[in-house]
Formats: sequence, C-alpha cells, structure tokens
Amino acid sequence: MIEKEKLVNIVGAGNVSDDQATLDAYSRDISFITAMKPSCVVKAANADQIQNIMKLANETRTPLVPVSSGPPHFRGDTVPGIGGAVVVDLSGMKKIILVDRPRRVAMVEPGVTFGELIPAAEKEGLRLNMPLLPRQSKSVVGSILEREPVIMPKYQWDISDPLACTGIFFGSGDEFRTGQAAGPGTIEEQWAVGGLQKAPYGPGTASWHRLIQGAQGTMGLVTWASMRCELLPSLEEPFVVGSAKIGTLLDLTSWLIRLRMVNECFILNNTNLAAIFAEKWPADYQALKDALPEWILFYTVAGYEFKPEDRVNAYLKDITDLTQRLGMEPAKAVGGLSANEILKAVRKTSREPYWKLRGKGACQDVFFLTINDQVQGQIETMDELADRSGYAISDMGAYIQPIVQGTSCHCEFNLFYDPRNSREVERVQELTISATRGLMARGAFFSRPYGETAGMILNRDAASVAVLGKFKKIFDPNNIMNPGKVCF
Amino acid sequence: MALSKEIYAAFQDVVGEENICDDPVIMPSYHSTEHAAVILPGNTAEVQAIVRLCNKYKLKMRAVCTGWTGMFPPGIVYLDLRRMNRIIEINEKNMYAVVEPYVITAQLQAELMKRGLHMNVKGAGANCAAMLRGHGHLDQTTSGDDRNHLAIEWVTPEGNIVKSGSLGSSDEWFCGDGPGPSLRAILTSAVPPGVTPGVFTKAALKIYHWPGPKQFPVQGVSPDYSLSEIPKNMMARYYSFPSVEKMWQAEIRLGENEIAFELMGFNVAMVAANIAKNNEEEEVLFKKLSQEVQGPGFFVILAGNSAADFEYKKMALEQIVKDAGGKSLKSIEDPRTEGIIMCQCVRISASIRETFRPGGAFSSIPVMGQRDLTIRWAVGAGKAKMPLIEKGLIVDDGGGFFGWGVEQGHLGKTEIFCKFDPQNPEAKAAVEAWSKEQSARAFNERYFAVLMGPVDQMGPGLSNFHLWWKKIQQAIDPNGISPEAGALV
Amino acid sequence: MGLEQYKGDMEMCCRCSACKFIPLQKVAGFQFANVCPSISRFNFHSYSGGGRVNIGAAMLKDGFKYSDKLLHIVYNCQVCGACGVSCNYAMDMEVTEPIQQFRIKCVEDGKTSPALDKVIAGLRQQGSMVPVAGKRGDWASGLNLKNAAREKVDVLYHVGCLTSYDKNMQKLARATAKILQKAGVNFGIAGDAETCCGGRAYQMGYKEDFLNQAKKNMAMIKEAGVKTVVTACADGYQAFKVLYDQYGLKGNLEVLHISECIDSLVQSGKLKLSRKVDLAVTYHDPCRLGRLGEPWIHWEGKKKPGDRFVFDPPKIYRRGSHGVYEPPRNVLKSIPGLKFGEMTRIKEYSWCCGAGGGVSDSNPEFAGWTAQERLEEARSTGAEAIVTACPWCERTFNEAVQGSGSNLKVYDIVELVEQAIQ
Repeated sequence: MIEKEKLVNIVGAGNVSDDQATLDAYSRDISFITAMKPSCVVKAANADQIQNIMKLANETRTPLVPVSSGPPHFRGDTVPGIGGAVVVDLSGMKKIILVDRPRRVAMVEPGVTFGELIPAAEKEGLRLNMPLLPRQSKSVVGSILEREPVIMPKYQWDISDPLACTGIFFGSGDEFRTGQAAGPGTIEEQWAVGGLQKAPYGPGTASWHRLIQGAQGTMGLVTWASMRCELLPSLEEPFVVGSAKIGTLLDLTSWLIRLRMVNECFILNNTNLAAIFAEKWPADYQALKDALPEWILFYTVAGYEFKPEDRVNAYLKDITDLTQRLGMEPAKAVGGLSANEILKAVRKTSREPYWKLRGKGACQDVFFLTINDQVQGQIETMDELADRSGYAISDMGAYIQPIVQGTSCHCEFNLFYDPRNSREVERVQELTISATRGLMARGAFFSRPYGETAGMILNRDAASVAVLGKFKKIFDPNNIMNPGKVCF
Repeated sequence: MALSKEIYAAFQDVVGEENICDDPVIMPSYHSTEHAAVILPGNTAEVQAIVRLCNKYKLKMRAVCTGWTGMFPPGIVYLDLRRMNRIIEINEKNMYAVVEPYVITAQLQAELMKRGLHMNVKGAGANCAAMLRGHGHLDQTTSGDDRNHLAIEWVTPEGNIVKSGSLGSSDEWFCGDGPGPSLRAILTSAVPPGVTPGVFTKAALKIYHWPGPKQFPVQGVSPDYSLSEIPKNMMARYYSFPSVEKMWQAEIRLGENEIAFELMGFNVAMVAANIAKNNEEEEVLFKKLSQEVQGPGFFVILAGNSAADFEYKKMALEQIVKDAGGKSLKSIEDPRTEGIIMCQCVRISASIRETFRPGGAFSSIPVMGQRDLTIRWAVGAGKAKMPLIEKGLIVDDGGGFFGWGVEQGHLGKTEIFCKFDPQNPEAKAAVEAWSKEQSARAFNERYFAVLMGPVDQMGPGLSNFHLWWKKIQQAIDPNGISPEAGALV
Repeated sequence: MGLEQYKGDMEMCCRCSACKFIPLQKVAGFQFANVCPSISRFNFHSYSGGGRVNIGAAMLKDGFKYSDKLLHIVYNCQVCGACGVSCNYAMDMEVTEPIQQFRIKCVEDGKTSPALDKVIAGLRQQGSMVPVAGKRGDWASGLNLKNAAREKVDVLYHVGCLTSYDKNMQKLARATAKILQKAGVNFGIAGDAETCCGGRAYQMGYKEDFLNQAKKNMAMIKEAGVKTVVTACADGYQAFKVLYDQYGLKGNLEVLHISECIDSLVQSGKLKLSRKVDLAVTYHDPCRLGRLGEPWIHWEGKKKPGDRFVFDPPKIYRRGSHGVYEPPRNVLKSIPGLKFGEMTRIKEYSWCCGAGGGVSDSNPEFAGWTAQERLEEARSTGAEAIVTACPWCERTFNEAVQGSGSNLKVYDIVELVEQAIQ
C-alpha cells in the first residue's frame, strides 16, 4: 500500500482524499457491482504525476483504478475490484490539446467531457462521432476507450474509431505512444513538421491501441488521446420513420448505411425516445410514448462544402426510391416530435438529469453486439426473458445502433428501475444475469464485459482469455492496474 | 537441413504423401531457399497438428499464401497454404465475407460483384490472398491495412486455435474485437518485420457496396483488353495539377466531399505503365504523357449509386479539379483507355505492370498515415532519385512518387519506388543506398519511421515497440517456432 | 541454344502467381479461376509456370540435378501455354518456351518417361503416335479421294495419326472430307504415305524426332507441289503452322485449320449450313489451335544494357493474341438451331483438355483429371455437348465422360458441320 504522504508529495495535499464520504462515493456505482472502498482517491493533473504514482504502485504492489469521467458511473469498472486500491481520478485533466481542421483530428486529456469538446470542435468546423446522448460528466477519452457505439456508422470504418492515438503509461510504468504518435520524435517535434497524431496503426505492424480499448484500465493509464473528427455539414436534413415492425426499419437501415447516404442513424423504441424528450414526468412521458409508434428510426442526410443542396437532393431522391420499394414513408416528425429536435439533441450531451435516470432514478443497461438480421430475434428473446422475470416490457428501453459501417449492430436494452425499491432492484439484477445468459445462447456477442456478468461472458472464450492473460503479464507484470476487471 | 525420416513421416501422417516434399529440386521455386520441407495443409486441424509437431521437434515454421514476397532463412518448415482456398461465407446483409488464406482477391471480388458488393483490393494485386492485410487503390472508399479485418481464426505458435471476437464467443464472424481488449492488436499480417507468429487459417473481411456491373464487360484478347462499354454511372479520369500543393488541395477537397470511389495518386510513369502492353510502348507513352501533364496528379474513378448520385459526383469532381487548376489527361478520356484502366484498377490494381515489368525488381518505401505529411517527404525522396536516373541505374519515371487517399482522405498512403535490374550490381547498390538515405531522412526529420530497416536502432525512438513486440512473441511463442513470419501475401 | 537463351526471361519471374490463374479481370467467380492444370492438381508452386522457370533458372546456374521429383514436375505438364498468356498480360518475358526447352533438355539428357519412349518408338517405326492397325489410309476407302502425291491438288488434307488409326476418330476424317467435297475444294490426301507431323513428339521433348518428321512432311509437300495444308487436328496445326516455321522448314506453305476453312467457305457462300442441329453447346479452344497456334515470330536480338529487360531490335512477344478463336465460333454460330454458350475459360486462357505434352500417355490419370475439370465447366454452362476442334481433345473428353458416367456429349466441330450440310 502506498503511504499517503508519498502521494501528497506527488499531487499535493488537496488532491489526495481518504475521508469517508469520498471513499464511499468511489466505492460503488449505479451498477450491481459489489461495493469496495478504495484506500484513497488521488486527483492527478499531468503525465509526470501519473508516472510517479505508477512507480510507487509498482513498488508497493498497490492496485490502481483509473477514473476519467465524473459520476454517476454505470458499469462497475471504476469501482475497485480488490481492497487497498488507489483511485486515480483523471477527471481534472481538462486540456483540449488541439483541434485541427485540415487533418480532422482533436487531441484531449482524459478529463475533457463531450460538453467541453463539442463547442471547441464546432469552432473549427468539426464534430465528433459521438455516442448517443452521453451524460454531461462523461469523459470523451473514457467513452472512446470503452468502445462505446457511435451514432454515425458511416464514419466508423473500424470498431476502434474514432480513436486515433494515445499516450499511455503501461502498468509496468513504461511510457508508450500508440499509432503515429509513437514517433519518430516527441509530439512537439512531430507538430513542428506538420505531423498530427492521426494514423492509429503501429508502431510496427501491431495496432497497440486495440489492446488499450476495452481494457477497462487494466493495461495502463492513458494520459491523452487523439481522435478523428468529422466535418460539420453545411446542410442537414433529419428524418424519422416510425413502425410497429422493427424488421422493415432494419432493412431500410441496412441499405441507408450500405449506400453511405446517411450520417446519424439509429433506432430507438418509444420508451427511450419518450424518456429522452419528455419535459415533465410522468405526464409528458406517457403522452409522448403513447403518441409514438413502437419503433422509430432516425437518420440525417447531409451535404458538405460543395453544393450541399445538390448533394442532399441526390440522396433524398435515392432514399425515396428505397423507401418506396420497402413501403415506408420517412417523415419530418413522429408523434409530435420533430426530427430536427432529435438532431439538435443528439449533437450534444444529455441534459441533466441524465436521461436514463429521469424516470425512475436508476438504469441497468444490457448491451451486446449482433448483426442486423439477428436483432429481431434478440429483441424477442429479451422480451421473453423480461416477461418471465416480471419486468414490464413496456417499461424497457431499446436502442439499436448499427456500427462499423453496418457490419454489426450494438443492441441495448435499458432496464429502468427505482433503486429504492428492493423488489425492482432484485428483479433487474436477476434479469441482467438471465438476459445475458439467454442472449448469449442466441448468438449475442457481449464484447464489453462488465460487472457480475463479466465472468460468464469471458468463460465462453477461454482461448482468447488465455492470450489476454499473457498480454496482461507483459504490460502489467505486477497486476496493479484495476485488478478484478475483465478477465484479470 | 533435411528432416529426419521419423520427423518427415510424422508430418506426412498429417497431410498425406502428396502434400509434403523436401526434395531440393523444388526449392528454387520456393524463394531459392533450402527449406526443411514444404508442407501443404488442407485445413485448420492439419495446420494445428503441424504446428504442434514443430513445437515437439523444435522446428521453425512459416506460413505463406501465394508467396509473392518474403525472405526466409534456410531450414524452416514452409507451410504453403494453397490447399486452404475456400470461401466460407459471403454475408450480404451484414457486409462481410469469410475466406481461407489462398482465396485470391480476384476470386472473392468476382463473387462479390455478382452480388452488388466488392472489397478492398490490395496494391499487391488481385493475384494475392484476399485476407492479406494491405492497402490499395480502392482505400478511399474501402479502407485498408488492418481495418478491414473482422474475426480471425488463428492457430497460435503453441498450436492452440484462438478465434477472435464474436467468433470465439458466439461462433459468428462479424466482430474481431473482445471480449475486453482486442486480439486484433496483434492479429495482423504484413511484410516482415513484425508479422504475427502462428498461422491465420480463416478471416472475415468487411465488404462494401458495388454499384457497378456484375462483371465488367471485358472484350478482346490478352493483352489488348477493353470494355465494350463504360458501365453506367461510372467514369475514370486522370488529372494533373500545376503543383503538389494544388494537387493536395483537390485531393483533400474530393475526400471531404466524399466524391471519389477511387482516388489513386499515380504519377504519370505509372499511368503509362498501366496502359502500355509492353516495355517499349511504356517508354514511348511515358514520354508522350509527360508532355501532356502539367505536374503531379491523380487518377479518379467515380461510381454513382444512381444517376442522381453520379451526376452530383461528376459535377463536384469537375469543379473541384477546375478550382485547383487541374487538367484532364486526354488519353484517359478516350473511352477505350478509360474503360480498361477503370477495370484494371478495380479488378487487379494493376501492380505487376507498374513494378516488375521493366527490370524485374523494384525497391519501395511505402508509408501509411498522414498524407500531407508523407507527400512532403516524398517530394524530397523523388528529387533524390534524379541522379540515379541520370546515371541510367533506375528506370526513368521523372522522380515520381505516388499515393492515395484512405477513408475519404482521413488517412493516406504515399509510396516511392525505384525500378531497376537486380542483376546489375551497381544499380542494386545505388538503390539500396537511396533507400537507406531516404528512410533515415524520414526518421531524422520526424516524418515517419520505415520499419524495414534496423528496427533495434529505430525502436527506442518509437516507444521501444520492438521490445514489447519481442515480449509478445516470446509469450505466445515460447519455443520460438514462428519467428519473423513469412509474408501472408 | 536451347534453354540458355531464356536465362534472362527465367530470372525475370517475380513469383506473382498470375501464371496459376486466368487473366485476373476475367476471373468470374470462385470456380474456374485456375488456368494451370499442373499446379491445380499438384499444388506445389514448382508445378506452376513460375515455379518451372524458377527451377530452370536455378539449374542453368547450378547445374542440372535430376531426381524423380523433378521428372514428376516436368512430365506432369501439358505444355499448354496458359501460364505464358497470363504472365504476358503484364510481363515481357518468355514462359512457355523455356518450359518446352527444359522438356527437350530432359530428353536430350536421357531423362525420359518410359511411356513416352514407347510412343516415340512407334513413331520411329511406323510414323505414328498411336498404335497402328491396318493402313493409314484405310479410313478413306470407298470415298474416292484424290491422292495428293499423284494428282494436282490445291490443298493437302493432313489427317493426323489419331484420326487415321483410331476407329472411333475416323469419322472425323470422313466428315472433314465430306465437307471439303461438298464445298468443292480441290483437295487430296497422302493416304498410306501420310506420316506424323511430329508435333506431339515435340511437345513431349523429342526434338530430333520432330525434326525428322518435319523434314519428311515438307519433302512430301514440296514434291506434291501443294501450297496449302489443311488439318483438323490442333497438334498438327501447331506443328505445320508454328513449329515448322520456328525451325525454318515451313517456307511459304499456307496452313489452315479446318475451322478456318469452313468459316471462309460459309462466308463466301461455297458451303451452306442449312440443316438444323438442335443442340446446346459450348466450345473448347484447343491449346494448339488457340494460344499456341499463334504464328511464330522470327526475331533475333540482344538485350539492351541498362535497367530494363528490353532488346534491340525490340522483341515482339507471342502472348496468345493471334490464335484461331473466332473461326470455330463463327462456324458454330452459323449452324441453324445450335445454341451456343461460352465457358469461363476460353480463347487465349482456355483450360487444357489434358492431353498435351504427352500427358495422356505418360500420366493418364492426370490427363483424365484435367479433362474432368473441363467437363464440369462445360456442364456449368447448361450445355448438352462440348465441341472441340482437335481429335486429341475429343478423345480425352470421351474417356473422361465414360469414366464419370456423365451424359455430356462430345463433338468435333466437323461432326456438327457435317450434320448441318445437306
């Protein structure tokens, strides 16, 4: 265990907390993860401090738990998995290092939130390919490292997008820069010749960034990340298509993405859309939900610098051919909710309180990857399991996000519940487990294993886990980085 | 370094008598190297058995597809993957295809095109493995490098079968990443150094929409093919620009507006090479085209998903080029030339004519990354070719370099090569010196690192990646049976 | 100079593997992408065109070391020329010639196949590449054909060994003769005096025997004062048209394949194809009528010093562009009622029937395998029959059909034309 004094020497007294209230706050989150108090919480401000903390942690075999976002946390990955851990809170590292329009790249420290980066990018005519309505305290770097699904599948060429490069201290304490950032030269020297840290592969033939993403902080501590940005369109036309049949929406989605005609593109059920847009609870929520069809596809057609109206018109013509063939009618509004309103909302973070918490105060997400033509079956399975557990299907949110240019779909069920109601808590906890098991049996791929279900997810692929174990020994030989998470 | 009778018999038990050979007579056709044996496994189980035997008998092995490139030390067990040539699945709705190593790009692409789909065609050519990690002319819209792989089936150097992503957990091919961190970090194959130890036995690849015909309407007799008509809603042009800056201006604008299906920054020597049907014609054509171009340029293929889409893209292309002072090369406007070059660039990537035809060898420095940065370096490297051209040591290509946009200009590729006669020792030495100098300049001036050189020297300047890679190699290959692997080409 | 003259070509091989496949822009799917029967069957790279020239280059450099494996590689090759066509789409280098010269060198060094030795023994004794039964001219009895040695004729119809002696093939000779008669062509045959053209012997590597036969044939032709030879055998066509020219023996002799003849006769109205033949067919291009039937180019020159593999004077490569492809197709398309569909591997990148290079004698199982691949391709077009223009192709296909129990019919083009004329 690291002596408190040594930590104070590194970060200053005001940045080391071991009072009960602080420890309590970091010992649990909204998920069902077993609570575990850290020994203290350290707020780091820069790479030097981080490196020194890690040196100490290695010397004393003290577990470190990295945290980049502010609360509330949902996944359990920021709660220590083992006693005696030091939480390294990077949420105060708020430097937006650069936003570069010509190379379409931004570079930020871990504490920068979407709310902070979005306007900075907009100033340069850029935007992020971001997740759906992240909470205000959500770290951009955190989101990207978690491989959170993004709402513009057209611009996600690879599942690691929008991540470009990272600066990391591996668990061993060694500094490493992934991708183009690795070198030659320091970052500043690269900038001096016009190099921006954009290309993600390498150094060498490995793609080291892939080892860091999805690792839940078990490989090291990231001190900055660069990410590709997209252009702000000159013209945007958002649309919605409502249907009781998700199958037809999925067909349309598949073609819209395949033909690269749309930017934002996702499907929400009425529960979720109502949860996002209801102003007053419960009256507005119920009225909106009742007015909406069961499933709503949202997409945007955009034009950029060159004759955007012509670009958009050409797309709209082709989309009309498509929708006519499929027997659908895109609209500018559905259930009284305008597509423009939706677009406006999804370009930003969720307003407070976070939309998933507004209804009942808590939410457990069950999410996985699947493919377009299996989504309907997975939904049916989830409905069945929810029903069996006594969870009202009509209360469950659903979010279907095509990713990686349509090669797969992020499928997410949002189980809203009242955390003060022990019966609801128990029900949702059990449903999370039974749903994970049941959906896996139907081919769902839980690529991001969190919390109580992580074990059963990873048990399905012992061979990959064995290899990951070898990597872990290399990059974090003393197992100080977030022990107990993923398969470590 | 022949195998003992006992060991030979052990391998023979796995693959059968017909599929193993250690006769010295075949070695000249296997990179002129005395391998311990050449073995042809037929499936993953056989690969696994072979790898396990290599561990048992402490033999080094390399797995190779068509084997266009590669240097091998003597005495290895050479796995020729020719018999593993099945297309496992083409999933049209979910846009991926699954192949074994020896399915060549030409085969997979032809099957995809029948279905209104296509794939990234690597610059190595459609004669090479479809699952190759590589980059090529179509990267603008079909990405490149390791970004097209989804799930991969991998026989590790210890002889375990590891399936990445959804394949390992759910027996599905659509995702290669997870659970947790992604094994795709190291499941990558390329020209050495740094090829993943072990053997890839199957891979899923991202595929893309193809708005063109099910088959290009190729007519004529080799080598004089042409298209009977330019496919609907498609067009190909070559544009030259007054300067590199203007060319880049047009290139990036086309990327940002998502106009080109293919944007291939050929230099005029390569245009000539691709059109010409023999070396003499190439020389004459190069001289002719050099007079017609005003500077550096690029080749563009437009492919509209519909008439409306095509009209927009055509209008945008013409205006963007005009704004940058670009000029269309008349030779490509001739539909006969336009058609066959379009077909060649989509279906073959045309690289044999560009590279090997003149002298039998070429030495290249390729780099994937930030295009505007690498172009700046390449201009200098091109100037450094001129003395070699003047001395007649390398083919005169005007000191040209080339490259292309990747993912609508987000990334890019730049490459520069020297074509020369490998039997000419002076030429060989000059080219080697040029390559060394330019690679060193790239490193010292902080452009990028060329990793085909002394990795131990460069590694420290690149986060010591080479040491981490060594650790990974040791961890996954404790018996050292699969060191620096052969190219999966 | 033999193999030595191709040293530079063999060293040019960059191991791109194009030689294993049909020209890449012609690949139409997963199936039927392979063009080299040898590597398709045996899989080791050594069996491909590129592999063979790699070995040739190495042996020139390090000496010729013969082994059973080497001979297996050498003799399991139809010398069909497909590798060269695919290579020469992009590369300027000889491929088929060095492969042929390597074969000749093996024979010169006494490294022969016993089965082929037996065939050649027959050739030396009886002027035939097939077992002799009866007299060579027996097939013509009762037809009252002119004897070219005794009567003045414009055209010599060279029948060929297989067609003359094989009871199942003699119908082709009779059909050919009937067609020529119908069209009023002033032709004759050599009858019993006909001797083998030597073409297959050359393919097998027996160059001296080929030259002996060539000289005999040209002497006969000169003696008879004939200006034109017509043959219905692709091997014969290549021999007279290309090989005799290559070795300076052909002179001004005009050489035509029967399909060229018929095409010309139909176009000029001298032959009318008016009877309906109700059949769905596909056409197999024989290697030696197609890509290897391309006229020889006499060239001599020296490599220019410098960075390119170029010559002074410039070398013009035979890339398979000028084989006989359209005349057989024109003929088939003129037959009323015939439904014609193409296979994937056609013309200059046709898949060999399996018989070339002596393989049907030395390695019949491999020949049969090759033919089966072709028949599968023919069946895939929906054709009821595969039509060819060479008795060796027809025989090989017939054997394969019998072996597989398939109901695909096999015809020579002359058989269908015979059906179509009144």
